[in-house]
Amino acid sequence: MNSQLINQLGLRLGANGLPYEIPIHPSLVHLTLGLFIIAILFDIAGTLFPLERSIFKFLNLTAIRSGFFDVGWYNLVGAACITFFTVAAGFFELLLANPPANQKSAWGLSVGLTMLLHGLGGVFLLGIIVAMTVWRGLQRYYWRKNASRQVQWSYLLVGVVMFGILFVHGTLGGQLGSEFGIHVTAAELVKEGKN
Amino acid sequence: MPTLSLNNQNLPYPDPIHPIIVHFVIAMVFFSFFCDVVGYFTRNVRLFEVSFWNMFVASGAIFLAVIFGQFEAGLANIYEAAQSTLNFHTVLGWSLAALVVGITAWRLVIRNSNPLKIPPAYLGVSTFLVCLVFLQLYLGSKLFWVYGFHVKPVVEAMKQGV
Repeated sequence: MNSQLINQLGLRLGANGLPYEIPIHPSLVHLTLGLFIIAILFDIAGTLFPLERSIFKFLNLTAIRSGFFDVGWYNLVGAACITFFTVAAGFFELLLANPPANQKSAWGLSVGLTMLLHGLGGVFLLGIIVAMTVWRGLQRYYWRKNASRQVQWSYLLVGVVMFGILFVHGTLGGQLGSEFGIHVTAAELVKEGKN
Repeated sequence: MPTLSLNNQNLPYPDPIHPIIVHFVIAMVFFSFFCDVVGYFTRNVRLFEVSFWNMFVASGAIFLAVIFGQFEAGLANIYEAAQSTLNFHTVLGWSLAALVVGITAWRLVIRNSNPLKIPPAYLGVSTFLVCLVFLQLYLGSKLFWVYGFHVKPVVEAMKQGV
């Protein structure tokens, strides 16, 4: 957003363009990604459980198949809940961003396009994560309640595809910080010609 | 010694890897603690199993996190103002590696003796752990978001001698 519009908000912004020292969105992202990825990986581990049994026996580690699906389910619910806050914080910080407009990212995208894609992508991903949580819940409590394999193959496939989308989306977000220096205090100071 | 070809963020690969690996330490330690507390009060023993596996992942991930952290810290352009934060982040990182693995081992002992109960002493220690991880997250964020480690405009400015 341009600086005049940002000033209208009447926030007391620091050198990084935020009313606080460290951006909140990137911290919440750790939770969204960590929980979501581990949820899918444990569902995969639960699905392939008969193959892993000998490994756990070798490690002398007790592992119960339903325990893996519990990790898959509860971690996903955690991811879905926290992602509302991740996206909300992301939009707040995106609105306050005021990057130099004349650069291109490593992917050849402009700042504006990177911001737009990352913003829209966030809403899209929130929608998918919530939808997958509902889907996972239906499998757990209705459709596959008594099945030894709690998740459908199609669910795992969607999960793996999501890894790819999250990687692209995360890289776009990373570029906003590490290439354009949005909300990086040192970068904003450099821009203003200070030390 | 062969020289690495570094990009404009001072890295031999497109983006820093350390911040990606730490997802699996931060999220897993926090969520493990959350599950323990909720499980303790609601007596939902399933959550103890979820908590255990999350700690298990965290103790595996923390080694990779420390290794990549050391590597990327070595390639960062460190200036005086950032030095003390980096030192603190490094020492705390290594300490956390030992601590996370130690606590996970204790957790394994608890799980082997009685998977349906969690002793309050464990909750106390994991509360301490969560606080340290939070502090570590703050310090690491500061290195990137305040001091601009591996941030292109900052790296370029320093090359020009600002």
